Amino acid sequence: MKPAGRVVIGCLVVLAAALPVIGANAFLLTVGTIVALNIIGATSLHLVIRTGHVSLGHAGFMGIGGYTAALTLTRLGWPFPLNIAAGAAAPALLALLIGPLLLRLQGKYFVLVTFLLGEILRLGFVQWSGLTGGANGIFGIPPPAPVFATPAAFYWLAFATALVCTALVARVLSGGIGRVIDSVRESERLALCAGVPVLQVKVGAFVQATALVGIQGGLTAHYLHYIDPGAFTSVQSLSFVVMNVIGGMSSLLGAVIGALFIVTLPELLRGYVEMQQVMFGVILIIVMAAIPGGLVELAARARQLAASLSGRAKRGRALSDRAART
Amino acid sequence: MFTLASIGQVLVNGASLSAIYVLVALGFTLLFGIMRVVNFAHGAFAMLGGYALYYFWGSFGVPYVIAVPLAAAFVAAVALIAERLVFRWFYQRMFQSLIGLLGLNLALVYSAVLVWDVYERSIPPAFAGLIEVYGLLLPTDRLMVICIALVVLALFWFFMTRTRHGLAMRATAQDLEIAETQGIDTVVTYRIAFLIAIFMTALAGALYAQIYSLSPFMGDRPLLVAFVVVILGGMGSIPGAALGGVILGFTESFLSTFYGASVSSFASFGVVIALLIVRPWGLLGIPETARA
Amino acid sequence: MKDAVLRVAGLAAMLLCLATQPSHAQEELKIGGIGPLSGGGTAWGLALNRGVQMAVDEVNAAGGLKVGETTYKLRLVMLDDAYTATGGRTAADRLISLEKVKHIIGPIGSPAVLGALSATDPSKTLLFSDGFAINILKNDSHAAYNFRSIDTTIEFAPAMIQWLHKNHPEVKKVGMLGPNDATGQAVLPMLAGFYKANGIEVWTDSFDRGAQEFVPLITRMMAQGVDLFDLNSNSPVDAGLMLKQARQVGYKGLIWQVGGPSVAEIMSVAGPLAEGFLSLEMFDFSSPAGQKFAEDYHKQWAGIMNVQTPLWYNTAKILFEALRRAGSTDVDKVRASLIAAEGYDPGIIGPVIWGGQADYGVNHQLLVPFWIAGVKDGKEISLVKILPEKR
Repeated sequence: MKPAGRVVIGCLVVLAAALPVIGANAFLLTVGTIVALNIIGATSLHLVIRTGHVSLGHAGFMGIGGYTAALTLTRLGWPFPLNIAAGAAAPALLALLIGPLLLRLQGKYFVLVTFLLGEILRLGFVQWSGLTGGANGIFGIPPPAPVFATPAAFYWLAFATALVCTALVARVLSGGIGRVIDSVRESERLALCAGVPVLQVKVGAFVQATALVGIQGGLTAHYLHYIDPGAFTSVQSLSFVVMNVIGGMSSLLGAVIGALFIVTLPELLRGYVEMQQVMFGVILIIVMAAIPGGLVELAARARQLAASLSGRAKRGRALSDRAART
Repeated sequence: MFTLASIGQVLVNGASLSAIYVLVALGFTLLFGIMRVVNFAHGAFAMLGGYALYYFWGSFGVPYVIAVPLAAAFVAAVALIAERLVFRWFYQRMFQSLIGLLGLNLALVYSAVLVWDVYERSIPPAFAGLIEVYGLLLPTDRLMVICIALVVLALFWFFMTRTRHGLAMRATAQDLEIAETQGIDTVVTYRIAFLIAIFMTALAGALYAQIYSLSPFMGDRPLLVAFVVVILGGMGSIPGAALGGVILGFTESFLSTFYGASVSSFASFGVVIALLIVRPWGLLGIPETARA
Repeated sequence: MKDAVLRVAGLAAMLLCLATQPSHAQEELKIGGIGPLSGGGTAWGLALNRGVQMAVDEVNAAGGLKVGETTYKLRLVMLDDAYTATGGRTAADRLISLEKVKHIIGPIGSPAVLGALSATDPSKTLLFSDGFAINILKNDSHAAYNFRSIDTTIEFAPAMIQWLHKNHPEVKKVGMLGPNDATGQAVLPMLAGFYKANGIEVWTDSFDRGAQEFVPLITRMMAQGVDLFDLNSNSPVDAGLMLKQARQVGYKGLIWQVGGPSVAEIMSVAGPLAEGFLSLEMFDFSSPAGQKFAEDYHKQWAGIMNVQTPLWYNTAKILFEALRRAGSTDVDKVRASLIAAEGYDPGIIGPVIWGGQADYGVNHQLLVPFWIAGVKDGKEISLVKILPEKR
């Protein structure tokens, strides 16, 4: 990433961290907290997308993490952050068990199977009421620790966690493993021939991703003091995918931008009470049609547009025409 | 215990519901197979078919047998606007289409809420009686649905296998570039495919609204089932969608009757997952490696 | 058809002029409203929105609400909670921090109410909600700042089932098909308990909401030999379809609904097959006040009026009266004033009666009179009026 880009991102991170100090009101902190929590899920899904697979069941794993964290706390008395760790381990374990089976599947089939898996998990949450409280969920989950009881304190907790998780994913993607992952996505067979343990790489990414989204589940339960299956539906899974696609699937930053966009946009549209959903839909259409690569390419596209408007494109086209003729 | 009359109804109702699901799934798989778009707005067009029938049959009194295809054709024609405005940006772009059409779905459904309000309405019944056949009590309206669906499916099959346009569509689905080099006008092909897909789903929606109820959110369930049916049958496979719809419809009916609702849900999803792990291309899809 | 055309024109007009509000000379008091305005629960969210709006319009037309020294112009700020816990929480936070609201009506679904409580309790905001979950009122904070404004199963079921047992002693076994959502899962065991207490055997099954083909499950139920089919907490159209399909499949026993109520919708879906159907009813449409309310509603909106609309209107009127009597918008004072408003009658359903001490540990449940209604000769008639037991 260009140094200018890094500086901008650094400034924005500092600004976001300072939000409770400069922004102060509880509503902004609520939105900020929910954005931070969703960044964890969106970036973790990005890791899976980079291996060439889109999971439409991510919210199901989030649910496993959430319920595990809630139950180990309320029934077994495990303190924070131990219960969150359990919330990360449980979905990862499931991913480890079924990943090797599912990740053999090609792109579009993987999408569909994970969708069904998410539905089965949700049905499980709803039916197994002895354990999960069924459709009514579990109520009265205390804050992680008395110090995190205020909106500002919880915001910092969510923000810090999101930062650490995103950094983790970034580290994986930028290191040697990152290049292996890219090779797997671009051409599985070639990677296999080159000696890359393709399935292992994919399962590794999948396991890590589900562990991270499990953390989001656990923290959300603490935040709302409540957990219910309604938070882990295919709508939420789809939401994570939308965040990635609309932000831009080519870079991790896309997932972050996407999460920010998808969570805050409905809040901005609240003023138009009756039209809000319609406008949200129209905006999705326009963004996707105009910037297929996602919002992350907004800057690049804007530059292209400016260039073509100012006529520089004419020269460029002449050059490429000449090149094509030779 | 279980009477013959009630078992008979379970079968007929299962068949009529399967028929509706198959119509929706076919449209969905057509759009994916030929244009590579995941039409998340498919349910919304079914819903519009329902409202169209509500007016043509319920308000204007057009004879039922004409009103149903008329409603479907009307929705398909109006949908061309959506095709020009929305769909064409997403042809051959699976992920973008997913999001864009999800947006279209939101826009259509909530505009419907603004125009028609949320409360669910009923379409006046066209056939309200029960026919007695060997001790089975069969509702006439369900039998009519099966008949209409069979006619449409037969016409569709005829079109796809016996006409030039149908052949062109199948060629385009197999390989877009080669089809173009063979002189097939893909723009026209796309448009025809689009019209047929929307026609079938609007027809299914009209029938569904008639049997059950009509509301702006009516399309959610048919969309979900279409999704599962298409997975089961094989993405892009037309016989697969038909087979998948029939199997799913009957399995749900059977399991629900004898084992209750939750067993039915888990079993249906579980079986589909197991099937896909073993045979990912669905019942009748073509394995990726076999294709060129 | 005509109103659909009018609505499309209205939609176009709205699109053309998203104009700003003119400024007001009178001081404004914002009242918060939270309910599902998207997804499956939209009918109830709109009922809340419209019912409260009607009360607001009424007060404003009479010059405003006099609270202490100031006469306020009321304004409803209505937000969508999408029937989820996060939605309820976000909407509550937005109303409290951004709109500076101190009194909120709603939400409706239990998850949304519980989500909202996590914001309203710490900030001492008054919440006047619905929601079937017991722990909305029975919790550690003893429902300090929240009240429930609509009868739940605990309030209406025991009396109804007793009435049935007395008037239909031939009923020995009841079958119930319930949705697998928060309300269904809370309600079904409760109802089962009340039936058993009256010596009636119970058979139940739950299904995933969304499917509308009930014939397989009804067939299964009929094989159990039930003589009563209770539609319990099903949504209006699901209930209507269950009734219609049960009759089509040849079920001859009694059908009623301890829940809903959705008599109008059921009659619309099932047509003549609804003859003999009995149900909970929460509003007397035949009373003069009821007729006037329905007329006023239909001046603005066409189609079937969801029965929760007058209930939320009633809730709003009670809140406004409490504000007026308190002479201040301070939440502690309004809370005390609400409790003291016992006996006040907004004139649409009946006087304010608080109850629930025995069930929830606190008297924050509004006990609203209800009816048992039946469908006879294609019309809905009231059979008996019941007041929930004050416990």
